[in-house]
Amino acid sequence: MAWELATFPADLLREPEPLEGVSVEIVQPGEPVRITHVLDAVEPRIRPDGRPAFPTEGKAGEGRTNRLDGVVVLSCLDFAGEERPLHEQESIVDLAGPGAAFTPFAQETCVVLTFQPGRAGNEDAEAAARRTALQVAEHLARSTLDVEPVDLERFEARSADPGLPAVAALIQLSDLGPLYYQYVYGTPAGKAGLPRIVEPTEVLDGAVTCGEYHWAAMRNPTVFFQRNALIRSLYREHGKRLRFAGVVLMRGYEQSAEDKQRAADAAATRAEELGADGVVITTDAGGNSHTDVMLTCRACERAGIRTTVTLAEETDPESTRPILTDWVPEADSIVSTGNLEELVEEWKPERILGGEELLDGTPAAKAGPIPVRNYLGAANQMGQLTLGARTE
Amino acid sequence: MIGANRIVRGPAITHPFGVDEAERRRIVERALELLETDVEPNTVWEVAE
Amino acid sequence: MKAVHYVNQFFAGLGGEDKAETPPARLGGAVGPGRGLAGELGEVEIVATLACGDDYFAEHEEEALATLLGYLEQESPDVFIAGPAFGSGRYGYACGTLVAAAAERGIPSVAAMHPENPGVDTAGKAYVVPTAVNVAGMRDALPRVARLATALAQGRDLGTASDEGYLPRGFRRNYFAEKTGAERAVDLLIAKLGGETRTEVGGGLDRVEPPAAVPDLSETLVALVTEGGCVPQGNPDRLPSVRAKGWLRYELDGAETLSAARYESVHGGFDVTLANEDPNRLVPLDTARALEREGRIGRVHETFYTTTGNGTPVVASTRFGREIAGELREAGVGAVLLSGT
Repeated sequence: MAWELATFPADLLREPEPLEGVSVEIVQPGEPVRITHVLDAVEPRIRPDGRPAFPTEGKAGEGRTNRLDGVVVLSCLDFAGEERPLHEQESIVDLAGPGAAFTPFAQETCVVLTFQPGRAGNEDAEAAARRTALQVAEHLARSTLDVEPVDLERFEARSADPGLPAVAALIQLSDLGPLYYQYVYGTPAGKAGLPRIVEPTEVLDGAVTCGEYHWAAMRNPTVFFQRNALIRSLYREHGKRLRFAGVVLMRGYEQSAEDKQRAADAAATRAEELGADGVVITTDAGGNSHTDVMLTCRACERAGIRTTVTLAEETDPESTRPILTDWVPEADSIVSTGNLEELVEEWKPERILGGEELLDGTPAAKAGPIPVRNYLGAANQMGQLTLGARTE
Repeated sequence: MIGANRIVRGPAITHPFGVDEAERRRIVERALELLETDVEPNTVWEVAE
Repeated sequence: MKAVHYVNQFFAGLGGEDKAETPPARLGGAVGPGRGLAGELGEVEIVATLACGDDYFAEHEEEALATLLGYLEQESPDVFIAGPAFGSGRYGYACGTLVAAAAERGIPSVAAMHPENPGVDTAGKAYVVPTAVNVAGMRDALPRVARLATALAQGRDLGTASDEGYLPRGFRRNYFAEKTGAERAVDLLIAKLGGETRTEVGGGLDRVEPPAAVPDLSETLVALVTEGGCVPQGNPDRLPSVRAKGWLRYELDGAETLSAARYESVHGGFDVTLANEDPNRLVPLDTARALEREGRIGRVHETFYTTTGNGTPVVASTRFGREIAGELREAGVGAVLLSGT
């Protein structure tokens, strides 16, 4: 049998590379480390059947998936100055100190990937970083393939007392253009046929990944979908205080007033199709995505479906009035996932990963009190964490 | 509606005071009537045909 | 540690309603209910009592405030205590205003009054301990006031309103709940489905008292204001199409109509084709002039005001409104036709 060896010229590499390099650091739980420019957080997952952990086709949420407990991959990237994401906010994770309570990662081993952008532009850099982070997360879980699990949870539809109220989750995903997408099977939310009914297990099993980098505290990183507290709560309560009717994914930042209303009405229709008596409506990011949530709330209430909304506040700590980005009178049941504007006490970390300087040039090691706004996912509006706000 | 207490409903965002002068006259006259009336907060009036 | 106590003329023993015009006074040590308070305060000593007539304070607030704060600052107390005012509105107002001003100056301060006393809303960052509605609640109130005042004097970090016994001041403060936001959402929804609606945060719309009706439009100067982005052709002052940071004014110079040749709309939030064909569709000058000629309205104000209402934060548009209204009022305008898009 012959063998062929084909040679190609080095100048094939003339095309600008999306990334110039990546460094990897493994940080143990609670080390006094501050991580900056964090893009996403991903839980290591792998499927024994060989299908991808973060599929771009087919259907997730069936069969079996392995997760590695107590480990999270954090990806960091300092976008090149020229075309930064439009309103990019500094995104920080503190693994010790007062900021540690605002993200869930201080108790885990963090595999921190710091990417150096190449000259191919921000979108290419981001795409390469995101792909790499997901691949690393899947790779890390490989060791689970040869071992027995310590815990096995079964998620399936079970019958329940029809007298219990039916509750669905309406989960918002943003799409306001490049570097501002949440992905459904690798497709930006705006092109994924939303609002759309999905199996709750699809959300838990890697169908939704994060590509939104404008907000920090209001960002929903990938791990918040993998470990989604709302879906888990609804499974837990199924047969007890409610019947879990299902999940609708809907888009935030519909572009025109007509589109917004149409999408809100369609989301309410999906909720009706699920037979929901009540829905929890979650929010993603800030600005007019809050209007989409409020219109959806109103559309559901008008269809006779009761609503509870989860969202974050942007209240001036010196003001005595809570500030919501938008509101309708039908939104009379709101969970506050915290006030973005409150400051977290100053802390001096012993080591910095991600980047030594914050986006505004301040040294990350001496940044002073930092607003909640800048801690990754701290005020996420899917209710993943315990942060709230109250009047004092 | 935030803060606005006297509101006359116009035909559209693109032409709140109406397309032609006749329609405009009807809307403005309705507005003047509303200005001459004591109201509760957030009062919205339609234009009589 | 030192405290200064404020009471009104009645509790200072100077007299009743007949002495409500008493100007501010500084009295030594604890006076009236201050003596009971001193007993509860333990290691905190009331070094001075300030008093003022309720009517005097209401009618000469600036002066009274300045004088009383002057006395207060001379004492450099560790805590300032006002009241209890119970249900007395004027006394409560004076207490609230004083503790707010003292707190602004860095003096830890606490007032005491009934939760529905209008003085509660004037207390700013200072604390208010709730009391009964009348003096029968004195014995109950004093130990609670003393406890909070002592904590403030010691510089101790205070806990929540319900833990420490003061009225919520209206500030939103983050906290870590027992349950995740998701679990709390499920709880709230189940409660709502069961007929009990609760919320962790209230929305709301601004309420502005409607001004009284215009008595006589034929005598009234009427102004035209728009957020439809109507500007002279070419947008010489570069009004933004979105996120406008301000507003503009233009002279009409007696024009009878807004002609398409001289005006256009730069609003980025809707299709401006119709408005550009005839700007009167946004700002009805032609109709206003006709009504002026007919005597239905007095005069059209020769200055019109414009901005782009697209992506404007409420705080900004509130400022625009205030600023424009200020100018309109100066000009003697009695009514406004505001076109919204």
